[in-house]
Formats: sequence, structure tokens, C-alpha cells
Amino acid sequence: MSGGKIEMITLEDLRRINARCIHCRACQYAYSGEPDREGETEEYTGMLQGCPAGIYHGWEGYFNSGKQWIARAFLNGEIKPSKEMLEVAEACTTCGMCETQCPNYIDTVQVTEALRAAIIESGIEPLEKHGKFRDMITNKDMRNPYKEPRDKRTAWFSGKKDNRTAKTAYFVGCTASYRQQPLADHTASILKKLGIDFTVLSDEVCCGSPILRTGQRKAFTEVMNENLERFKGFDQVVFSCAGCYKTFRNDYPRMSGKPLPFKVRHTVELVGDLIKQGKLKIEKPYAKKVTWHDPCHSIRHVGIAIEKEILAKSNNWMLDSRGAEKAKEEHYEIPRVVLRAVPALQLHEMYRIKGDSFCCGAGGGVKAQFPDMALSTAKERLKEAASTGAEILMTSCPFCVTNFNDGIKALKEEEQKTGKDLSAVGSKLRVVELLELLDELL
Amino acid sequence: MEDHRVIKYNHVTDDVMKKLVAICGERYATNSEPLRHSYMAKGIMGLEAVLPEAIVRPENAEQVSKILVLANENHIPVTPAAGGLSGGFALPAIEPGGIYMDMTRMNKMTVDLENRVMVVEPGVKSGDAWRIFKVKYPEWAPPIPDGAPPAATVLGDAIERGFSLVTGVYGPQADMIMGLEIVLPTGEMFRTGSWALPNAKPYYRWGPGPNPDGLFLGSQGSMGIITKAAIKMIPHPHFKTVVAYGGQNWDDIIKPAWEIGKHEMGIADNTVMVQGGNRQLVMTRWPKTNIPTDIAFYKKMGIEEYWMNYEVWAWSQEELDFVLSRIDEIYKSYETSANTQCPKQELHPKQIASRLKKPNKIAVPYSLWQAGFLFITWYVPWLESPACMTEYCAKMEEYGFPPTMWVASIDHGRQAIVMPIVCFDSTEKGIYEKIRAFNLETTKSFLKKGWMNYRPDPFVHAPETFSLIPDYYKMLVKFRKVLDPNLILHPGRLAIPWESVTKLPNPCGEAEPKVTKQFATRATVPREKLD
Repeated sequence: MSGGKIEMITLEDLRRINARCIHCRACQYAYSGEPDREGETEEYTGMLQGCPAGIYHGWEGYFNSGKQWIARAFLNGEIKPSKEMLEVAEACTTCGMCETQCPNYIDTVQVTEALRAAIIESGIEPLEKHGKFRDMITNKDMRNPYKEPRDKRTAWFSGKKDNRTAKTAYFVGCTASYRQQPLADHTASILKKLGIDFTVLSDEVCCGSPILRTGQRKAFTEVMNENLERFKGFDQVVFSCAGCYKTFRNDYPRMSGKPLPFKVRHTVELVGDLIKQGKLKIEKPYAKKVTWHDPCHSIRHVGIAIEKEILAKSNNWMLDSRGAEKAKEEHYEIPRVVLRAVPALQLHEMYRIKGDSFCCGAGGGVKAQFPDMALSTAKERLKEAASTGAEILMTSCPFCVTNFNDGIKALKEEEQKTGKDLSAVGSKLRVVELLELLDELL
Repeated sequence: MEDHRVIKYNHVTDDVMKKLVAICGERYATNSEPLRHSYMAKGIMGLEAVLPEAIVRPENAEQVSKILVLANENHIPVTPAAGGLSGGFALPAIEPGGIYMDMTRMNKMTVDLENRVMVVEPGVKSGDAWRIFKVKYPEWAPPIPDGAPPAATVLGDAIERGFSLVTGVYGPQADMIMGLEIVLPTGEMFRTGSWALPNAKPYYRWGPGPNPDGLFLGSQGSMGIITKAAIKMIPHPHFKTVVAYGGQNWDDIIKPAWEIGKHEMGIADNTVMVQGGNRQLVMTRWPKTNIPTDIAFYKKMGIEEYWMNYEVWAWSQEELDFVLSRIDEIYKSYETSANTQCPKQELHPKQIASRLKKPNKIAVPYSLWQAGFLFITWYVPWLESPACMTEYCAKMEEYGFPPTMWVASIDHGRQAIVMPIVCFDSTEKGIYEKIRAFNLETTKSFLKKGWMNYRPDPFVHAPETFSLIPDYYKMLVKFRKVLDPNLILHPGRLAIPWESVTKLPNPCGEAEPKVTKQFATRATVPREKLD
């Protein structure tokens, strides 16, 4: 960043990273490095296809392995940008499963997002729904993708807003502010119970995730700068939205070229920290069979970033790669530390978890633009959740919650139409936000 | 530039595209530009590729046959690919790119425990085969490629005569084949071996008469499309380990392995995989800018300048211990006779577990060194491999590449698979020309010494090799014209048509290969007879 102008990472900047791809296709599979991994059932064992877009469409171009080569062709001027190309590039949840698998440490999601941006910046209009996101987020009377008035953003909050004396700010995000206000209430309640002096800011704006993911970086820069300016005086910013958290933690430093001026933590991480430090004990029981879905943004993306941040500082990857991987794995453990601390809770893990987790199907602008793919992906994950015998599908991400509930709704409708019992594929699951549960138990 | 191509191929027209859609279905045939680019690859097994004009994903051999008939009628090239990079490099080599046949939808596998044979379609991936065997047939193992990514296919490796986890004992992967189902470029279909007989099992490879398998194995998809292969499966004893010994030079890793290899029907049969390399093989798996390059660091890590791994499988701990003790004895004896040191390396249990893991991604990270790599693979007599590797490493350094070298035993040390890994920066201007010059210089030298390239690339290895063996090339062209009269299958591979890939004098003489318009209009063997 110089003279107020932000030098954003472009596809061109990623050329040498993209050039590492040899098209081995390992990125198409969860557990590509553990093909002999044993699962509980025959269906869930060994390496499994793990790319939502690739599974849904089948063509190579929808898998990361194919997209890397579309990006290379674009970089080399071998393909002209087109709407068709944008549609292929946008049909990806940016879940990062591929990035976990890549032995050449290719930043697959960054390449995909940069490819989207490069296509749009070459003059191709964003896809219809994505363009609407941008219009609403850049509208100064809204600054959110839900077409809601900006002045109603913190209407849910009864505490002291804009308290600059607080050390911690809660970044609520658009979804909890306008669509899932109980999530905001629960989070605020948890923060109070933990004794954290916090505030919310009435001039908070969309974190920009929906527009960054879909390649609309100019608009993203606008909201990123606003948020960085408004939150800069706080020691810590906490989150309840996995997407906002990832955007602040991973994307703001990368896109602004500057480290964040405050610490960031997801509320589940705050709780996990206190449990690990022995400062918090959960007394109330939750006697249910639970399976946990790792949100891609707050778990996988942050875990990968932790690993790559360590490696970026290392001059000996051979020695440091194991430590970096261990740090990543420790991050993946955080929600499990929390769940194991809940008395009577029976955790039944799905087969694909942590870095190899299968996406809910909602991310990367897919839910809005490609609802059929989002629903199909949610159903596949629900089936896997149901295979554990759990009654509760727990997660901590407003988009995962929404998409899973849409999937269950679709299964129930199918049950009504056909008279079939679809409980084996997830129709009887109940989706619970972990922050909601923690608020009940603390 | 003068166009040296003799044979002109046609482009995929809208009409042909419609017919491809009619054969495969709307969802499985496309000429989308981004999707066509998504199949490209330049690295690992080959660097020269052109963009296909259409992609098809057939469901079965009948659709394969119909596509080939259509391509023949319109004189359009067809490039079949199983896993794409599994056993080799399957992309069009010359313009126009024609039809790329992605075989991954054909992914059925059946297992015949009684006859110890598995039947795979082209899309069966190593990772999937390994998983299925582990769950259903734990006492058996599919002969999958070792080191290739899990998405590599069993059939791709077999038909390219590749390297598998038991190649050290059983020979090149193609030696495991018991029968093939083939669709010829004319659309005709047939099976080889005992499998040719209706209702017969693939139990006898040589079948009813002269066996044509060899024409299709290693043909790089240019003689016919293999839609099924019956492949021997192997017993899977569960007492396993890996031991490694260092050495002061290439001889120190090759000669003791040769002594061990001679113990056929003994410890050599337990030693399923024998593979080694040099320090650079470890070093170049990491970024050039983020890894020490000094020898001292690697010594401290227990990595010798040269080393050989032995993967041993046995039916009992006693048997395993016996094999290990015999290997150790042979090494001690060699150290004395050669007056050298070959220290046994202390492998951490995690290192052993990692090396025993199948399939694995061990061969993939060489792009980290800079941004791209190429395997160039040669088969040489085992005891000649030190000379080959010495020359190769020197030449790599001369060209500015790190001398990364991998070697493995084929069939009890009868042959060596010698594989330099050329690590390079694919974004560097002129790098492909540099690699080509390096490849050409080493190829010319090695061919003079009688060493053979395992999977000749169309622009360097094949023309250089066939220029030295014109009669062999003439024979190959004759067979090719019988099987593929219009030369539509993967043109350029095996240097056919010659002028499309090289300016060297055509071994067949001045006459151009004649294109004869012969093709079947339908598959001559009904599907039901094949099942």
C-alpha cells in the first residue's frame, strides 16, 4: 500500500504459484495423502472425492486441478475471458479442500479468487446475483448484501454501542445483524458471561467476503478500508461469523498489504482458549449424540493460513514443515476441545473432518448464484452426518446453518412427496449453532 | 515456417459436435473453451501439448467405438486418456488437437479371487483400488503405481508398462496383464488371451494364437483404445518394513542391490521394491529458497549422498527378520570387497510408515523447488545404471538443473529404471527450449550406449530412437496402418506421422504414409458378447 492506494495481489502475482501445478489431481480427493485411511463404513473409507463443484458438474474444469490450468491459459494469453469462463470459475465454494491436498502448497483458493477478479477486471460483468451483492454492499445506505437499511444494523443490540473505551469489539457481520439475530444475541451473551468488556459499532459495514470471493475487489477494498479504519483503536475484534472472521484474519492483511492493527478471534476460539487454560469449566450437560461440521472459513482456511504463515518465515521447510502442520492441526482441534468439555455430549465424528472436511455447499457466492449445486452439496454432507448416527449436526457458521437447514427442508419435502423415510440421509437431523449451545450452557 | 506435416487432419465441426453429443449425451460432450483448457498439462511426464477441440466422456466401450467411427469418417484425431497423467502424458501432440477422450467415467473394477485377477476399466484410480482391496480383499493387493498420485489409474500404469509397488519382483507393470479388451480405431472390438473366447476367463494370457498385446502396450494410445484390462493381483503379506543403506557413489547402491536381486525364489522375492537416489532427490522436494543446500545439513539429518531403500514384505516376523539379516550380510560383504562404506540408515518409525503408505504423493512436490518438473525415464541394464546416472547428473548440472536422480530395480535387478527429475521454473523464458536441448543431447548419447527411453516423447526420444532402427520403425508403421488406416489415434506419438514431429529423414524413405479410407461403420462385436 502506498499513498493510500492499495496494491492488491493479482493473478499475475500468483503466476509462479500457479505454475507449480503439474495436474496430478490429488486436489480432487479428501485424504489424498491417506488413501488407506479406515472409516467406519465401506462408503466412508479411503480417499474420497471432496470437491463440491467437481462432484456436481463432473468436468475437469470445475475441479481445482482444471481451474489451475484455465488460470494458466489466461495468464499466458491463450484464452480470452468470457462469461462462460466466469461461470466455470464462480461455480466453486472456495472451501479450500483442494488446498489441503496440494503437495506443492499451491494457494488454490487465492488463484481461483484472483482468476475471478481478473476476468471481471477484463470487462466481463459479474454474474447476476454477485453483481447485486456488489450493488447493495457499495450502496452507502445499505453496506450489506441483504438490501437492509444501514441504520438498522445494530438494532438488535441493547448494550452500549460505539463504546470506544472497551478493549474488545464484536464484529457482528451482515447475516447475524439482519438474518440470524439470535446468533448475535447468543454471542453477545457469551461475551458478557466470559466477562469481556466489549462493544459493537453502529458504523460497521459488510466485511466484503461475498464480493472478494466473487472477484469484485474494487468494491471489497472500499469496505475493507472502512472497517479497518473503524476498528483500528481496539485491542481485539471478535466474531461469530466464520466468513467475516476469515476475511479479517486472512484477507485483510493480504489485500491491504499491512498487518491487522488488532487481534482477531472467533468466539468459539475464545471459549476454547479459556477451557484449555483451565479458566472455564462447563457444568451443564448436553446429553445428545452430536456430529461436528468444520466450517471451511474458520477452521480449514485459518488452519492453512497458520501453517503457511509459519512456512513463510522459515528458511528450512524440511525442518519446519512438521511444526507448521502441527500448529494447523492444533487449530483444527479447537472446536473439539470445546465439545469434549461439554458434559454428557457424545461426539460422533464424520469421516471427512478438519482439513479434509466436506463443504456445506454455501460458500464462495455459490448459494446465491448456483442454488441447485449448493443444495446438492448440503445433501451429500447431511448424508455423511447421518451416517454417524448423530441426532444433532453442530457447526458454527451462519451459512452452513442456513444451507444445512435448506437441505433438511428439501429432504423432508421429498419424504412428504414420496412417503420414503430419508432419515438415513439426514432428514431427521437438527442443525445447532455451537454458539447457541454455549450460551445455554455457560 | 514450412509445414512439414504430410497428413492433414480435419477440425471438429459443429456437425461432428452434434454427433458426439448424440453418442455420449449432452452432459458428456463439450467444446467449451475453458473446459478444454482445463485438461491441459505441461509437466511431470511431458511438456508438449496442444489444445483439444472437443472433450468427450464415454460411458462404455460401445460409445468409444462409435466415437472412433465418427472420428474416422471425418478424419479427426482422437487422444484417449485414462487418468491423464497416470502412466504417461495423454494430450494431443500436434494440431489440430481433435477429440480428447476422457475415460474416467469408465471406472468399474471386478475381482476374481479364484484366478487371482482383477479387471479394471480405464478410470479405476489407484487410491480407489487400494481402498477397495483393503476393505474387501485385505489378503491381496492391486499392483498400483508407487509414488504416482492416488488419482493415477491402474490401467494407465499397466498399459504404459510402468512401475508398480511390486515391479522389483514381477517386472514392468505390463507383465502383469492377463488380457485386454480393445477398441480399434476403426471401431472394431476384440479381446486378447483366453478372454477372447466367449464366456472364458482371462486366465491364460497367450490365448488362441499369436498375442497382439504388445502392439497396444506402450503404444501411448496410438494403436487402439484399451477399455478393460485383466491384471494379476498380488498376495499381500502384512509383515512389512523398509530398510535403507547409504553409499559413497552410485556403485555403492547399485552393486549390493544386484547381489540381493540374484536371490530369486528367496530374499529377492520378499524385497518387493528397491529404489534409491541421491541427496538432491530429498532436497529438491522443498523450495529452493527455503532449504539448506549444503551436504553437512543432510549428513546431520542422516541422509547420505547416495542411498537405496528396500521395502520388504514377509509372511511372518521370522521371515522378515531373516530377509533383513541377509540384506545386512550382503551389504557387509560388499563393504569389505569394495573397500567402501554403506552405512545402514536409522529410519524413524514415521519415515517407515510414510514409505509403506500406498499410494502416496511422494513424487509430486518437485514443483516446489521452483515451479515445474519433468520426469525423463530410461531403462538400462542394472549394472550400467551408475554410468547412466553419472553422465545424466553431470549434464543436468551443466545445464543448470539440480542433479536430482531416482533409480529403481525392475525384475530382481535385471533392469534399472533411471529417472532424472528435471526441476525448473516453468515461467522462465526459453526454459522449454533449454530442457529440449538437454533432452536431445542426453538422448543421442544414451541411444549410442544402447539405453532405451521408457516412454519416448514424440519430438525428441521417438525420432532419435527410430532414426537408429529404421526397420523397426517401418514394421511399426505397417502395423499402425493395419490397425489405424487413417492414423487418427493420438497422432504424433511414436513419431507417426513422422513429418508431424521431426525434420529428420523419414526411416520409411521419401514416400508419404498413405492414408487409406478404411473404417468400420459400426462395432463388429456386439456388447453382450463381451460381458
